[in-house]
Amino acid sequence: MPSISFGALLGNNSNLRARSYVNRLPLFTRAVLVAIVVFWMVGVQSVWDLRAWGALVPDLVGISSLYRLNTYPFIHLNFFHAVMNILALVPLLERFESEHGTLTSLALFFGPFVTIPSFMYLFVEKVILRANTAVMGASIWVFLLLGIEAIRTYKLNPYLVVGTHNIPTWTSPLAILLCVAALVPSSSFLGHLCGLAVGYFCGLGYLKYLAPPEKILRWIEGKLNLLGRLPHYVSVDQKTYGRFGVLPSSGTGALRLRRDPRMLKVPPYLSLLCILVGVVWLFLLPLNEYSRRTYISENALLPGQVHTYFSGSDQNVFRAYKHEVNGLADKSNIEVNDKLESIVKGLGLKTARQNFTYQSAGRVYSGENLYAILQAPRGDATEAIVLVGAWKNVKGELNRNGIPLILTLARYFKRWSLWSKDIIFLVTPDSIAGPQAWVDAYHDAHDSSRVNSLPLKSGLLQGAIAIDYSQETRFESVHIVYDGINGQLPNLDLINSVVSIAGGQMGIGVAIQEMWHHNDQYPDRLRTMLRGMLKQGLGRASGPHSAFIPYHVDAVTLQPFGDGWQDEMAMGRVVEGTFRSLNNLLEHLHQSFFFYLLMQRERFVSIGTYLPSAMLVAANFTIMAIALWVKSGHAEGEGDSKPNTPAAERDLFLPLGVITFVQSIAVIPLHLFNHAPSSALTPTFLLFAALNTALPHLISHYLATYHSPSTQQYHLIKAFSLLLLGMFLSSLATLNFSLALLIGLLASPLTFMRAWPGSPVLRYACTILLNAISPTAVIAAGAVYWGLDLGTVLEEAAFGWDVCGMYTPVVVWCVWWPAWVAGSVVVLGRPKAKESSSQGKGKKAEGKKDL
Amino acid sequence: MDGSKVTLGRTAGLYAGAAVLRLALFTLFPGLPDLLTGRVEISTPVTSFKRLQEGLFLYNHNVSPYDGGVYHQAPLLLPLFSLLPSFATLPIFTYLLYIAVDLASASALIKIADSGEAGSSALFTSPRRQKRWSGFIVAAVFLFNPFTVATCIGRSTSVFTTAAILHAIAKAVAGAPFSAMVAISFASYLSMYPLLLLPPLLLLCYDRQPTSRAVKSGYQFATTNIGVVIAVLGALFQMSYFMTGSWEFLPSTYGVQLTLSDLTPNIGLWWYFFIEMFDSFRSFFLAVFWLHLSCYVGGLSIRIRRQPLVVLTLLLGLFAIFKPYPSISDASLFLAMVPLYRHVFPLMRYTFVIAAVIMYTTFLGPAFYHLWIYAGSGNANFFYAITLVWGLGLSLLVCDLTFAVLRDEWEVERPEMVGKDIRQI
Repeated sequence: MPSISFGALLGNNSNLRARSYVNRLPLFTRAVLVAIVVFWMVGVQSVWDLRAWGALVPDLVGISSLYRLNTYPFIHLNFFHAVMNILALVPLLERFESEHGTLTSLALFFGPFVTIPSFMYLFVEKVILRANTAVMGASIWVFLLLGIEAIRTYKLNPYLVVGTHNIPTWTSPLAILLCVAALVPSSSFLGHLCGLAVGYFCGLGYLKYLAPPEKILRWIEGKLNLLGRLPHYVSVDQKTYGRFGVLPSSGTGALRLRRDPRMLKVPPYLSLLCILVGVVWLFLLPLNEYSRRTYISENALLPGQVHTYFSGSDQNVFRAYKHEVNGLADKSNIEVNDKLESIVKGLGLKTARQNFTYQSAGRVYSGENLYAILQAPRGDATEAIVLVGAWKNVKGELNRNGIPLILTLARYFKRWSLWSKDIIFLVTPDSIAGPQAWVDAYHDAHDSSRVNSLPLKSGLLQGAIAIDYSQETRFESVHIVYDGINGQLPNLDLINSVVSIAGGQMGIGVAIQEMWHHNDQYPDRLRTMLRGMLKQGLGRASGPHSAFIPYHVDAVTLQPFGDGWQDEMAMGRVVEGTFRSLNNLLEHLHQSFFFYLLMQRERFVSIGTYLPSAMLVAANFTIMAIALWVKSGHAEGEGDSKPNTPAAERDLFLPLGVITFVQSIAVIPLHLFNHAPSSALTPTFLLFAALNTALPHLISHYLATYHSPSTQQYHLIKAFSLLLLGMFLSSLATLNFSLALLIGLLASPLTFMRAWPGSPVLRYACTILLNAISPTAVIAAGAVYWGLDLGTVLEEAAFGWDVCGMYTPVVVWCVWWPAWVAGSVVVLGRPKAKESSSQGKGKKAEGKKDL
Repeated sequence: MDGSKVTLGRTAGLYAGAAVLRLALFTLFPGLPDLLTGRVEISTPVTSFKRLQEGLFLYNHNVSPYDGGVYHQAPLLLPLFSLLPSFATLPIFTYLLYIAVDLASASALIKIADSGEAGSSALFTSPRRQKRWSGFIVAAVFLFNPFTVATCIGRSTSVFTTAAILHAIAKAVAGAPFSAMVAISFASYLSMYPLLLLPPLLLLCYDRQPTSRAVKSGYQFATTNIGVVIAVLGALFQMSYFMTGSWEFLPSTYGVQLTLSDLTPNIGLWWYFFIEMFDSFRSFFLAVFWLHLSCYVGGLSIRIRRQPLVVLTLLLGLFAIFKPYPSISDASLFLAMVPLYRHVFPLMRYTFVIAAVIMYTTFLGPAFYHLWIYAGSGNANFFYAITLVWGLGLSLLVCDLTFAVLRDEWEVERPEMVGKDIRQI
């Protein structure tokens, strides 16, 4: 049946409904339906032309072929004709039958309702038009029934008002008639019109006498016990009048559910479920079933496919350069650059320098970058790869082996003629500010009052490798640092290439996220992932490569570590191999993932797998916000609110005002911690933390004294605050997943905070809990846990904001903190007593539909 | 919040507050105007201030501003801006001009709101009309709407169109058909699409004629006023012709809107379609899209004949979604008109959903644009998906407002159904 298959498309629920509709069809409707289907099936064979036998052909209707007057509605031209007519006829016929009874329908549809229209048609077609068009199909009944319905509607609801014009409703079938005539090929306008005319007559009551008298029908029913014998039979007495125009009294399942007061109790559990599923999801990721092995997507890279030649006599060169660099260990930045520049110039490379001066938290970070460009023998200077070495690494140690290695590689690369991209050798005085200044200036995005423009440039940067080799002894493995600013990551293909070259080709171990030993079991994988997420969440620059990533230049830092037998030459070969791979690139790295979590050097999860956990945590806030909004629309009757209680008008001004106020004062801590001098940072923080504890009390006291908000208004304050939080976090999750998840989890208790008017104990318990997870407490606890000085943490945050454009402080102070303040205000809230508030509401309450 | 008397002082304070806010944003954050001007959500090819500067430069150097295919705005904006002191040296005058235009829009909005046309028109009086916001609140909502502020700071030239449209409506409500027609002609001259507002505006003018000088015949009224529009537009075109010395401006301004030749991303639904489309289908779909945009005019004007201001509001909402180069400026114009219908707000069903969707997209849009253009880790589909949701949010608002207004009308016809649920059977 078409309705069933259609139902299957719509899903299980509507499928059930369709099936129950079909099951409830009354007897005569079923009979007609079956007859149409049977006639169609009989018509499929080609031996006997059913259509020629049964159609209403004006010239062939005689005394002996009067059967045609009865058969033509059952016969259809083709499958589609039959299906369309069934779809149109069944609902109408079902209504008619359940109103008038099966016997009446039988009598009418085998009597006057089929013969009168056909006589009319024959008369017009044969006598007036003198034509001979055969007609068939049940559509004549469709129009007949439509005519009856239209007249009935007209009596109830005479006009359709369009603008200032009244259109009688009985004309609507005429519109359908015209549409069908215009749109459906080979439809009989005249036949339909005849059906419609009979329908109008019948609807107006002129054909009433044609229906068999009720008395006789009752007698037949009684004699034959039709009701007992026939399934789905509609008795004369069962028939229901006035079914039309009456609105269904109670809604369907979903609607009734929506009005169920119990529905309002579900969202907190749903929110909790979201958080739990989000967290559990995260912990499932390291399992083999959820993570994937890494693979190289970009075929052009061909990592480890070339033989590397960096060794032998280059080791002597390296020793010489190392000797020079050791001599420069205590020299000033300028002196170092003078010496290095003379060496690089001696190699025949173009060099240039760049000054920069940054100020942050009252400190000055200045220095001079030195860089040299090796012009590609086989390129056109449209693309370049960068080899970076910072004079001092992130920890402040001298890059004792890294700088000589870069010089040696520069000399070595110069000898080869196979480069198709320019190679830029960059030596910066420090690991964060220097590369930042250089990359900003390379892309002309620098503030020229702080950073000089670059005198010498090459093409588009395709990739960058930084070497951080401060270790004196031989090394065991290479540590890849890949976190960029704000949690942006380089393309996974770059990391894969290094892993494949170092691990696969050279036999050097590779580690990530400071996991010096990794057994590839669940605990180690989880630890790696969580470390990665924490670094990503903090969003700080983790090495010289970090500055490149926001400019869409994929970059990593390589740090040799451990005590092994690999020497500087091995490290040089890793760099050589990686550069050969990057040199092969035909276009910018784009094939592989930009959003991933690595849990071992060869195992990762991509965004599609891990994003749901952060989104679920963010969604919990939105769910709660929506629930509170709905709840605030119900009149205050706490729990026992009946579905029909009039909805309350929401008073939005106070809640919106509170939220706006809290959001706007968020710029104060942001400004304070980004502009205070470093010596004042710790005292400022402590002072702010103390004020922060008092602030919710002050706001709450102010509200209670001057505005005495109602429960509804507290609900709305919380709803808006959570809505904003959910919105910010779900936006943030697309940019920095880890930060969004971190903040989401830390803020998740806010979902369950509510005012405790009756119980001071609970109120204070909640307040203490909230103070334990306040942004200030979390920052201080984090600093203590990692053994860092609070001042250093704040200074670094300010540095990240001022120099690198790190937005973590914005998220903390302008997203998390306002939500926390609003949540604390709600907990401390003492809503107005119920009587007075319900009186106040009584004035405003009006017939507002609930949301 | 109910319609209380707006004292002159309060309104002046509102204007001063709005002006100070804008001036502060202009002067305290010197990078902000240029940042906002570069945002695709604010500046479209046909309203961008940057492109205006380009056109102005060419114009001041006696080159046709339309050479180079960057400038797509009305020619008469050029003499206006070249009258001002140079933007490079004295930007404050440009800022003041934009602030003044915003304030002018607000004053028109106050007139519309205080006329009470939204609650009781010539042919229909809402039983709920008592519950309305005064012009002061409506203007405050408009002036402090972040979208309006961002448009003003981004110096999009669509503010001129907004002001012209609002003045046309205000004049129509005030019973001054001639001024209304002149204003709508200016709006149409600047952006073309306001011409589609002409039918409902004519109806509004017709309904609000002062009884002393009323023209009874609808046809006569329509012919006269359409004549006025044609005359004013003709005069403006002629002036543009004299100014630029050729008719080149027609294809470069209106032609670009009609054929969508500049496919810069924006928050509308057109650009992605026409980027993806094979060229052979282009003209067909252009016709379909324009037909779709204009088909609402007739239907809504007929169906809601008794409240022409509703038709204007709904059309502004539809234009904000479906026009070829929409920006948040169009949304701000629509959102400025919506508070006029405070009396039907209780009938609306999805206010929270609409507010949430619009807010979510406001934040996710720039985030996804960043992922696409700057981070390179997303693609165009990210941004387009969000513009679809944005369109969904606005269209929900349009639908919900339509529902509320029609329900309001219906409850007058069927008083026994007031407050009852209705459902489709």
